[in-house]
Amino acid sequence: MPTEHGHDAPTPAATATHAVARPGRWEAIRQNLHWYAFLAPAFLLLVLFMAYPLYRSFDLSLYRWKGLLPRRFVGLDNFVRLFDDRYFWGALNHTLVFAIAATIGTVGLGLLLALAISRRVPGHSVYRFAFYLPVMLPMTVTAALWVRIYEANYGLLNSALRAIGLGALAQPWLGSVDLSLGSIITVSIWQYCGFPMIVLLAAIEGISEEVHEAATLDGVTEWGRIRMIIVPLIWPVLVSMTVIQLIFSLKVFDLVWVMTKGGPAESSAVLGTYLYRKAFEQQQYGYASAVAVAMFAIIFTVTYLYYRLVQAGGREN
Amino acid sequence: MAAAGTELRRRVTPSRSMIMTLLIVWMVVQVYPIVYLFFTSFKSDAEILNAPFSIPLSPLLDNYWQVLDGGRTNQSFVIFFINSVIVTAGSLVILVTASSLAGYALARGPFPGSGGARQVLLLALAVPVHVLLVPIYFFFGDLGLRNSLIGMMLLYATLGLPFTTILMRAYFLSFPRELEEAARIDGCSRLGAFWRIVVPVSRGAFASMAIVNVGWVWSELFFALVLLDRLGVRTLPLAIAAYKPTTMASETVIGQLFAIMSLTIVPLLIFYFLFQKQIRKGMTAGALK
Repeated sequence: MPTEHGHDAPTPAATATHAVARPGRWEAIRQNLHWYAFLAPAFLLLVLFMAYPLYRSFDLSLYRWKGLLPRRFVGLDNFVRLFDDRYFWGALNHTLVFAIAATIGTVGLGLLLALAISRRVPGHSVYRFAFYLPVMLPMTVTAALWVRIYEANYGLLNSALRAIGLGALAQPWLGSVDLSLGSIITVSIWQYCGFPMIVLLAAIEGISEEVHEAATLDGVTEWGRIRMIIVPLIWPVLVSMTVIQLIFSLKVFDLVWVMTKGGPAESSAVLGTYLYRKAFEQQQYGYASAVAVAMFAIIFTVTYLYYRLVQAGGREN
Repeated sequence: MAAAGTELRRRVTPSRSMIMTLLIVWMVVQVYPIVYLFFTSFKSDAEILNAPFSIPLSPLLDNYWQVLDGGRTNQSFVIFFINSVIVTAGSLVILVTASSLAGYALARGPFPGSGGARQVLLLALAVPVHVLLVPIYFFFGDLGLRNSLIGMMLLYATLGLPFTTILMRAYFLSFPRELEEAARIDGCSRLGAFWRIVVPVSRGAFASMAIVNVGWVWSELFFALVLLDRLGVRTLPLAIAAYKPTTMASETVIGQLFAIMSLTIVPLLIFYFLFQKQIRKGMTAGALK
């Protein structure tokens, strides 16, 4: 992307004038006032509703505050408490398990589906449409729907199991401490595997037909074709889908909130729901902000590393 | 070539039929719950509990009527629906306007601070929205924006800005400058040139940006849950989340819930159907950004 470079790196001469002659810089700003006007609405919104709240969140995490009474400065006390809070560790643990399992599930399944329909199987556009359909559903709808599918007595899943004589396998899917998190992860994979599928399919279809034909003529088996040709060629897309899915899954809230609210007995609580309960059910706003800051640290790091990676990759090409 | 093709087909036939079977099974798994959702919305509560798999041969519209006029829940779906439409439309208008202006400036730069502005957008992309929840709640309280649809529009537009602006900039980088320069020579201001020359040609790009964002705005729950507690301003996701996940037998409004869910997703599915191609392109571009 040659144009990118033009914008990214000012010429050495330009940098020098900026550094040496301040009036030149002011002149440059004055001449570009119209561009600042173009940027103004977006950056006004970002400062008001993102930067300022972000600062307030860090600030609040140093206080104990119930919302109405004056807040009390406690330094890093909230973070010390966080460290000893086994429910926080539980929520963090569930979040990581959720994110990793859901990522492997969606990207893995998405890859398999993309491979399966990539060779123009009969009706492949029907499959593509069908597999992408759940991605379009609002997460609240998916969650509310699956609550009724998982329901122990009349739910679709247990009814189906009983109907085919596997009634012994019927479980209180969301009511069991052991099964709740896994059940929610399954729903997440069910809903979102179509997304990596669409993107990976586009990448696979981008591989030129000659490559496939050459491989076929050379007697490469289907498995060999996947392993030695397709996967290496779509590897960058695969990595990028994995990280996007991971970041997305770390932010899980809606699914868990609507399906179990983190229960039973906190067995499916994730950072999002834990933060929400601490703030808006127990009014521990300072402590909730500490949870938020911890969450920020994790997600921000993963995301930022990813964009650096992508940028670095873009420069190399 | 034809010979190689038939040979290939013969060699992979067994695994191919297996793949076909698995694909069909998985398609049923993916689609049946959605079909179940629609079927169930046409059934009475007794039917839902006793015959979950049956096809509603004599579909009842009762659930829909009750949802529309409030019925047993005293909450009219129409209000939720209108609120969601207003919030979504308003958010998208603000979002597309602000992001296209900013994206245009960043594409036409460089000027002092343009590199920094791009870095800020990349950093903002990495901010998880959860960290904003508590401060936004109090800040909106101070500003009088709690329970305000305008507040939600401004918030959603902001949350979508970093990503959309980066996409808009990429679009304008490939937009030919000659047209604008001609207009500038004719005495147009920058904004004039943008409005008269760039905007009319870029309608397609604006539409794709709106399409990329419509899904999450329509479905947003996390902020709506704390910022909208007055009945009159609630949006659809709140209406759905309000049905407590208790055992089915004790629910007396299960049919209505399914009616609300189907009315919530129908607009999105129609949308998806109409704009399939753009959505796929947008998704792919976004994912590879």
